[in-house]
Amino acid sequence: MLNPLRSEQEAFRFLLWVLAVAVVIVGAVLLVRAL
Amino acid sequence: MESASVAAGHATHDEHHGPPAANVSSRVEAQFLGMLLFIISEVMLFGAFFTAYFFIRVVADTGWFPVDGKELPKVIAGVNTAVLVSSSFTMHWALEGARRGNRRAMQVGLLTTALLGLSFLAVQINEYVHIGFAPSDNAQGTIFYGLTGLHGAHVFVGLTLLTMATTRAFRGHFTPKEHRGVEVPGIYWHFVDVMWIVVYSTVYLL
Repeated sequence: MLNPLRSEQEAFRFLLWVLAVAVVIVGAVLLVRAL
Repeated sequence: MESASVAAGHATHDEHHGPPAANVSSRVEAQFLGMLLFIISEVMLFGAFFTAYFFIRVVADTGWFPVDGKELPKVIAGVNTAVLVSSSFTMHWALEGARRGNRRAMQVGLLTTALLGLSFLAVQINEYVHIGFAPSDNAQGTIFYGLTGLHGAHVFVGLTLLTMATTRAFRGHFTPKEHRGVEVPGIYWHFVDVMWIVVYSTVYLL
């Protein structure tokens, strides 16, 4: 399991994961609002 | 016989001076444990601010921005987000350089990360100057300045850590085996970036 506090590598991977999730959520919300 | 035994006892006793050795976990190093506890407390601090933010969004009659004709600068903040996220890539590059013994990559990576972080902070201060409302104008303004200001303070702390790491890197510190002084600020820096992604998504975009 990804633990961002274990090493810098895992923290970096966690950042990319959060970025991807944020893009999906924001994109979905803005799409629903636009409809 | 007795005197020999007493002398041996004294020799054993004299081996250790000062307080007893601290209890050390074999699984987690003290530096990482400290950073772990610190970041957990930071998540709770941001959580308190986000609670206030969501509360205001739910109860305020005027809704979230635009308020009183004032809009949040989404595009500029978006570019600033790209600047901060790119600084995490350079931070990762710096640590990979440290791991592989590539001193130049570590130095340039750390310096670039610090400069990108400084640029982010400068743009945010410029945003505050030109945004057109004050924290005391309304509840939305208070939360906006509170959340972004709290994050800005963390960027400042991260920059301080990065400055120390960069200075040490240029002084010849850190080896492929011993580079904790880069790794721990790196974890903190990624945490600061993660928090900004959450702040930008919720405060500016949603």
